Amino acid sequence: MSKQNPSDLSLIEPTLDTYADVPGSLIAILQETQEAYGYLPMDAMEYIAQRTGTPIATIVGVATFYAQFRLEPVGKHLIMLCQGTACHVNGSELISAAISDELGIHDGETTPDGLFSLEHVACLGCCSLSPVMMINGTTYSSLTPDKAKKVLRSLAAESAEGGASA
Amino acid sequence: MRLIVGEGSCGLAAGAGAVHTRLQELLAEANPTGVELGITGCNGMCFLEPIVDLYDDEGALHRLVKVQAKDADKIYQAATTGDLSLVDGLRISAEDAEFLDKQTRIALRDCGIIDPESIEDYLAHGGYQAITKILTTGMSQEDVIHEIDVAGLRGRGGAGFPTAFKWRAARDAKPDETGQKYLICNADEGDPGAFMDRAVIEGDPHSLIEGMLIGAYSIGASEGIVYVRAEYPLAIIRLRKAIEDATARGYLGDNILGSDFSCTLRIKAGAGAFVCGEETALIESLEGKRGMPRLKPPFPAQAGYWLKPSNINNVETYANVAWIIVNGGAAYAAMGTENSKGTKVFALSGKIRRGGLVEVPMGTTLREVIFDIGGGIRDNKEFKAVQLGGPSGGCVPASKLDTIIDYAELSATGAIMGSGGMVVMDESTCMVGMARFFLDFTAKESCGKCVHCRLGTKRMLEILSRVVDGKGEEGDIEKLEELCYAIKDGALCGLGQTAPNPVLTTIRYFRDEFEAHIAEHRCPAGECRELITYYIDQDKCVGCTACARQCPVQAISGERKSPHKIDPTLCIKCGNCKTACRFGAVQVR
Amino acid sequence: MSIKYTIDGVEVIAEPSDTILTSATRAGIEIPTLCFDKRTAIYGACGVCLVEVEGVPKLLRACSARPQEGYVVHLHSERVDRARKTALELLLSDHTGDCRGPCKLNCPAMTDCQKYVGEIREGRYKDAVSTVYEAFPLPASIGRVCPHPCEDACRRKMVEEPISIAFLKAFAADKIEADGDPYVVQCEPDTGKRVAIIGGGPAGLTAAYFLRRYGHAVTIFDQQPKMGGMLRYGIPEYRLPKAVLDREIQIIADAGVEMVNGVKLGRDIQFDALRAEYDAVLLAMGAWRSMNMRVPGEDLAGVHGGIDFLERLGLGERPTLGERVAVCGGGNTAMDCCRTAVRLGAKEVYVVYRRTRAEMPAADIEIEEAEEEGVTFKFLTNPIEFYGEDGHVTGMKLQVMELGEPDASGRRRPVPVEGATEDIPVDDVLMAIGQGADCAGAVAEELLTQRGTIACDEMTFRTAFDNVFAAGDVTNRGAGIAIQAIAEAQKAALCINNFLEGDEVRAQVPYFVTQEKTPEDFEDEPKQKREKMPGLTPEERRDNFEPIYFGFTEEQAQREASRCLECGCHDYYDCRLIKFANRFNVEPERFAGEMHDREDVPVVSEVIVHDPDKCVLCGLCYRTCDQVVGKTFLGLYNRGFSTVVNPMVPEEARTFCASCLKCVEACPTGAMRSFPAVERVTQLV
Repeated sequence: MSKQNPSDLSLIEPTLDTYADVPGSLIAILQETQEAYGYLPMDAMEYIAQRTGTPIATIVGVATFYAQFRLEPVGKHLIMLCQGTACHVNGSELISAAISDELGIHDGETTPDGLFSLEHVACLGCCSLSPVMMINGTTYSSLTPDKAKKVLRSLAAESAEGGASA
Repeated sequence: MRLIVGEGSCGLAAGAGAVHTRLQELLAEANPTGVELGITGCNGMCFLEPIVDLYDDEGALHRLVKVQAKDADKIYQAATTGDLSLVDGLRISAEDAEFLDKQTRIALRDCGIIDPESIEDYLAHGGYQAITKILTTGMSQEDVIHEIDVAGLRGRGGAGFPTAFKWRAARDAKPDETGQKYLICNADEGDPGAFMDRAVIEGDPHSLIEGMLIGAYSIGASEGIVYVRAEYPLAIIRLRKAIEDATARGYLGDNILGSDFSCTLRIKAGAGAFVCGEETALIESLEGKRGMPRLKPPFPAQAGYWLKPSNINNVETYANVAWIIVNGGAAYAAMGTENSKGTKVFALSGKIRRGGLVEVPMGTTLREVIFDIGGGIRDNKEFKAVQLGGPSGGCVPASKLDTIIDYAELSATGAIMGSGGMVVMDESTCMVGMARFFLDFTAKESCGKCVHCRLGTKRMLEILSRVVDGKGEEGDIEKLEELCYAIKDGALCGLGQTAPNPVLTTIRYFRDEFEAHIAEHRCPAGECRELITYYIDQDKCVGCTACARQCPVQAISGERKSPHKIDPTLCIKCGNCKTACRFGAVQVR
Repeated sequence: MSIKYTIDGVEVIAEPSDTILTSATRAGIEIPTLCFDKRTAIYGACGVCLVEVEGVPKLLRACSARPQEGYVVHLHSERVDRARKTALELLLSDHTGDCRGPCKLNCPAMTDCQKYVGEIREGRYKDAVSTVYEAFPLPASIGRVCPHPCEDACRRKMVEEPISIAFLKAFAADKIEADGDPYVVQCEPDTGKRVAIIGGGPAGLTAAYFLRRYGHAVTIFDQQPKMGGMLRYGIPEYRLPKAVLDREIQIIADAGVEMVNGVKLGRDIQFDALRAEYDAVLLAMGAWRSMNMRVPGEDLAGVHGGIDFLERLGLGERPTLGERVAVCGGGNTAMDCCRTAVRLGAKEVYVVYRRTRAEMPAADIEIEEAEEEGVTFKFLTNPIEFYGEDGHVTGMKLQVMELGEPDASGRRRPVPVEGATEDIPVDDVLMAIGQGADCAGAVAEELLTQRGTIACDEMTFRTAFDNVFAAGDVTNRGAGIAIQAIAEAQKAALCINNFLEGDEVRAQVPYFVTQEKTPEDFEDEPKQKREKMPGLTPEERRDNFEPIYFGFTEEQAQREASRCLECGCHDYYDCRLIKFANRFNVEPERFAGEMHDREDVPVVSEVIVHDPDKCVLCGLCYRTCDQVVGKTFLGLYNRGFSTVVNPMVPEEARTFCASCLKCVEACPTGAMRSFPAVERVTQLV
């Protein structure tokens, strides 16, 4: 794990106030922590350990067990490419290749500009519209390699505009 | 007139949100009288999404399908003017309508009909009548369990354990001094290719709540927990609202309907681990730990969540419960076969013409589901196999299409009923590739605790990978089989014990494909990248250059308007050219 | 209320709180397991404790399954064995390490070099010698003459030079002798069985030693005046002083081995009579016949067999040689011949060898020392004719060779350069191109191979006759180095013992986990030069047969021993994984695939490290830390194949670990280890 800048721990105070003393809440705490930072910073996990009394070994153990948790920051657009059976049968491998071709990243990687991260995820449950990917909550369905590339390009263009106006 | 937009995850993925937004804008502008806009969950016709159901003033349904945002104006016009001919082009075809007509819906009874965000709508459709009946007519715990027993309801999540048996065990389990028991709903629908549980929660969350209430009453639990996959955000939102509404209406909380039965419900979001579908791993996860299975015994009925007696069923199982109480166990048991009663929901997908959610009585044949309801294989290809039960199931070949849906009959094929994933494959799907796909899944999802699963699935995946890469060795099939049997015997939990099933069934029915890969370095389905060559049929190519423009490595050459060629030494087999070609000239051998 | 059930037919009584495993343990029945420890909660990860119960469809984990009245439990069935063996094989397919050091594995006799080197480092010389005696007798002799395959494999050479393993062995044996505390063989009670051994060389002596230890009555018959075989009659005094050999043979004789010299099989004693008289016979006559070169003029006077020549020396003769002596061959016998010729006063000594120095089978040190003593090497030459006057050789014609394609042995094949020959004048020729056995007339015809050696099975050392075994140079494998003959004798003795006890006659080939290392792996290892063996200068040694080495001083020996990298796993003797692996005859290579090779060794505390590549993920370390010690300094991270036990706590938290070592004790393999306190104590058997 690479060194990160110190995290603003006040972001998770409300979560810890709610859950610190509730047994079995570690996953919920980590989910809200990830919500706050986009990933699970090491210092935040240490702070959770301190506040909840849960050993850090247990916390990192849970954080590294579940696919949802990330120990590194992700890009602005998180591409969740469905790896379900239906998507597989309908060519998700080609979509994955197209995304890698377009962005130069593979499963679990982030573009150097921090714009996109690619994550292969378990079935999103949109099997009849396969292959699908979900980016920031929006599902893109019945993908072809070409269509996937177009989606990425338009998101990149949007970001560029957003960046210019900001 | 009422306009109801189908807004399950599938519908939204297909663009229902934009349709809804446009309709809302139009209605807001003109504020016409007599036109209502509402939503509903998924009706299961995913292949026709987005769907708008238009109910005319007589209450007749006009189903409009594959609606796009641009169609919203037309629909608005039709609704406001009453001139329904405006939307004739959007009407569902008679053939597609058969998809629903041939089903028998119990678990999905309200899905795609009611507004999932409205408890009133659920009540209007007979909701909460079952729990009312139980609490107001003085049905005992045993009376309820007896009814479930009569119904012959078995767990719909995979293993098919009799629900009444589990409920009795949990009811009979002695709690500790706190008296606490838990009722848990497994909504961690992890099988890739199954999405009926999501559809139920998104489309009819109160039916789950009511089923859980009945279960909680039967075992004496005062707290229920729904463990929902993190990948189902919409389901969580709708279920949360439903719990709030049910609590506000007194269906949840203390002294429900004035009785001395109290029960609360809460949601726990999973964090992405397939193994948490295994009940003891799910409990570990609920307790905030790594989702690693526990050894059984003790079973959750004796020592489950926080070591208290706990009962776990999946969403579809609970979704049947209220219907059984209202209509009687015998009515439920009247459907189905000797050992498999009632109905089962399947998620039909893959190379199928009409994919979506299908609920049919047990005893229906696979052929009826796939061909009569699903419309058979799309693009005029040949049916090859159907995968049932996801990573724990198997691939059933054409010769077994007349197998009936029944726990024992499906097991006899080497597959399982499972949670109801039904992924259809055609001649272009490589069965070795399928086996590899599932092992890749289970190897990634193995929790890593027991040796057989952690290393066994890894080694199987390696062997399958080399076979699809054309590097298989003589004896690999036998080695796979040996590992399969050892893993079935040695793995700790259901994930590991069933992980070999997809491999064993593909070897059983498609051994020739394995042999072709190993002995001849040939993929009969033409799918395995390392074993195929792309080429352009010189007679079909018109020289449009579409393929060449899509080729990322400039492997395609040719003059405009004359046939092109692919240089196999440069080709990386990405398939872009084949997708780009509109003349079917790019082929694979 | 107690429950009665059976395990493999034995009745077991269980209490309601018992599992199959706990009740079996109490009944004295061992059920193998890697992840169970009664101090921690049942875990069920390893899958090694699987048992089959009649009428129960699934296999059960004995660690968690509760026995029921009347259960009929089987610890072994085809299904159980397959599942258990697969579990072990899968574990071993991702287990990176060295059960035993490369030194031991490369020693034909599997001598535990790492162990005795460690004992020497600690000054425990008697223990060190005992360690050698577990593999073979004669440590002082073999330590002097062995071409030490152990050192060839020693990984220290990736740092600078290998450990001087052979000389350390000789040092320890000499040291306890000098201290007046010689090794004494401990023998089992007499069995009443009698074994005859033909040949008192390294093989015969080794077999006699082991068979005597097993409690059998042993008699060695040897044709020479004294025991020792080739050690006495093939190796010159300057390499192996015969007093050392005598001393070590006496240790065997003192153990009660009867030694009869001056009798030859087929002449003085008869094969059939021996076979009838003794319960078992071991043929270990060696290979005493010099191979002929099959070139014209071989029968000229002055052309000698190298072995015959050395034998005469051994018998005390001082053969006279002319001024110019040529030795043909490139092995150790050739070196012994040429260096002996120098010592006998020859002015010009040539070694004629058809390949180059790189291909010479002789030990490097022997070649170097021969050069120092003035021997001239004529590489890439091959004799094609000896010629002479009056029936005595005066010269030889050599064919000039060059190296061609590699042959079956991997060495480049010498091919003649057409028309290129060379003549050298010689007064004597010593042929040292190989040795053969000569058993014709000594034993029954049916025991012989076409090459005149004794045919015996590779695993049982048994000949065509049930009670006749063979080992050493005389067998079908032919002549080799002493330690190879010793290794065969060690295994043959075991087979003979099995035969005499009525057990299955078979030498086991144990399974070990091994790994490959490269010099890059040792880049950070501080350099420490190999100790130089003190000895005579070339000038001091070339005209006499005085021993050329003085032996290490004690300080030198300890310094040298401290160079050992201790490649073999510290936990070998306690490791349950390797114990089960051998008990259940694993073949993990069947499931060979990706193996972890993690670079970082996580440091748990100041004195505890964890090697994840040896970890079987039984969880005992972190569970013990959590459940027994009440701390949670360790945890499982990641999942599936990537799962790892990791103390990845923040640096500052590590000091909280009190290093109670409970995790180290709990570990069933060598994954958890403490250092340096325990590291330096060599494990005892």
